[in-house]
Amino acid sequence: MDQSESTCTPDAPRAVVEIDRSMVSAEALLKTCYWFTRDFVCEIRNRNEHVAEIFLTPRNPASAFELASAKNAFTTSAMDFALREKIEAKTSGIRDLLLAKAFSESGVLEGQPEGVFGDTIEEMKPEGMFKILSNPQH
Amino acid sequence: MARVFYPIERFAPVPPTFHLLPFRFTRLNGKELLVNEAGEFLFAPNGTIQRLTDEQLDTNTELYRDLKAKHFVYDESSSPLLDILATKVRTKFDHMCGGTKLHIFVVTLRCEHSCEYCQVSRQTATRGEFDMSTSTADRAIAMMMDSPARAVTLEIQGGEPLLAFDVIQYIIPKAKKLALEKGKDLDIVVCTNLACVTDDILKYFRDEGVKVSTSLDGPAFLHNKNRPRPGHNSYEKAIEGIERSRVILGVESVAALMTTTAASLDYAAEIVDEYVRREFHSIFLRPISPYGFAIKTRHRTGYEMGRFLEFYRQGLAHILKVNRNGYRIAEVYTQILLTKILTPHGTRYVDMQSPAGEAWSVLVYNYDGDVYASDESRMLAEMNDRTFRLGNVHKDTRRTLFTGDPALQMFQASCNQALAGCSDCAFQSYCAADPVYHHATQGDMYGNRPTSGFCTRNMDIIKQLFSIIEEDDRETMRLLWSWVTGEPAIREVVECV
Repeated sequence: MDQSESTCTPDAPRAVVEIDRSMVSAEALLKTCYWFTRDFVCEIRNRNEHVAEIFLTPRNPASAFELASAKNAFTTSAMDFALREKIEAKTSGIRDLLLAKAFSESGVLEGQPEGVFGDTIEEMKPEGMFKILSNPQH
Repeated sequence: MARVFYPIERFAPVPPTFHLLPFRFTRLNGKELLVNEAGEFLFAPNGTIQRLTDEQLDTNTELYRDLKAKHFVYDESSSPLLDILATKVRTKFDHMCGGTKLHIFVVTLRCEHSCEYCQVSRQTATRGEFDMSTSTADRAIAMMMDSPARAVTLEIQGGEPLLAFDVIQYIIPKAKKLALEKGKDLDIVVCTNLACVTDDILKYFRDEGVKVSTSLDGPAFLHNKNRPRPGHNSYEKAIEGIERSRVILGVESVAALMTTTAASLDYAAEIVDEYVRREFHSIFLRPISPYGFAIKTRHRTGYEMGRFLEFYRQGLAHILKVNRNGYRIAEVYTQILLTKILTPHGTRYVDMQSPAGEAWSVLVYNYDGDVYASDESRMLAEMNDRTFRLGNVHKDTRRTLFTGDPALQMFQASCNQALAGCSDCAFQSYCAADPVYHHATQGDMYGNRPTSGFCTRNMDIIKQLFSIIEEDDRETMRLLWSWVTGEPAIREVVECV
């Protein structure tokens, strides 16, 4: 992934990061690369179906220590983006509900947001707030 | 016979399961910093988020109770509190309600200063064709009063607006009359360098309830270097004008703003001390804006954001020291960010809003009737980039301004919730999008965050502030809270029984 013109030479020292693809999705990997593109040209290759290799070539000369730091920082950042995906997967529904409630003038939803969503505990209650607020016929 | 309570577990059974509420996070100072949709935050030990997502967090701990209290998790007992969180989110976005509140009238482009970094493309002081006409003023006033906002601010600027004092005298009574008819509160501010001010002008402002905002870049050597004018006496004129304005208008009606040029970077303490010497109680450490003449002269006035951040760090440290020594002075950008971080509220500062404040919160009426999404948008237009020209008061209505292509294109890039790099950012609730800045500096309204000066500045300053919050020095936090609340810092009181 290279969003801007590279200033590095082909044989410049670079860091190679190995990422377990079962732990980090392609999207999380791309988001990680996005933040590294200021200082590095990021190239992603799939070594096999389980492991991705990311080649970080510095745009400006970097010491071995800086390359090792970048490698560690990349791995940490990739794992954090994987965590963010997990959080989003668990909370995107309730986030939609939350924002819909926050920005509805009356506090009553005009329509139910699409998809499976909601406050799972509240949804289970037949007389719960969720049912009342999202069902005008109630 | 003594009676004892049952242990607390008897009254509050530990909930067997919990669920996550949406939040974002970052790592700071060896801890995890969690921030929810309403901007509430919590520092947690490393590993907390992994345990949360794995649903392995011990629910019988203080950490769990903190997470629950701050709406990061919910369980059987806290489930109905979702509506409270929704209310908090709504409160945070309160700046969106009510329509455009700040209306900037550029009554003239004329100016007798020739500042290299000037944000307006000035014209020489005698060229009256760059003054706002009465017909344009009438249309602009009508458009301002069309805003659904119950309270509006009329900010009169230039150029140097006092060079077109007759235009000001035309606008103010007209605006007041229409505000009365429409039932709106009206604040009026004139932004002036005060070099041309007279007692008669100030008495007029006093009688009309007008406030004055002026420029003070620091001590004389710096201010005069930044703001050349005939006689090389900009500083002396500004100081004299400030003193006279305070006498006639009252101390509270006179404010000052500074701009940080390359020449300012080595003088953070001296600039702060100048504001203290002049008895101001707030100072806004502002970077130079990448617009207008600042683009043409950036090799002389510009600098890397890293240098500004070092200047900001030194300035803030000095301001805190001055406060600890007993003189109350707040740094405005810190005040804005801390209000967002420490309270349920947003702020009306239009440069730090999402959706971006441009057009939603501010409209600029140029002397020729063109309407822009912000003052920076107008400066771009003076450099022949009319991307953010929304329309003209003589041809458009408020509706057509907001539904035209320029506005709609800008609005698409106005929400940091939906921008690459921002959508996952822990600081999203406190930060902004600023499509005008990114268009000006990167040629793209959406912007590239890793190379954005806007992002670099805000990430760094917000991290500085969170580091202070996490350190939790009682005296420093008392000072910062006093900036947020506007109340005096409360000294620790030793209670005697």
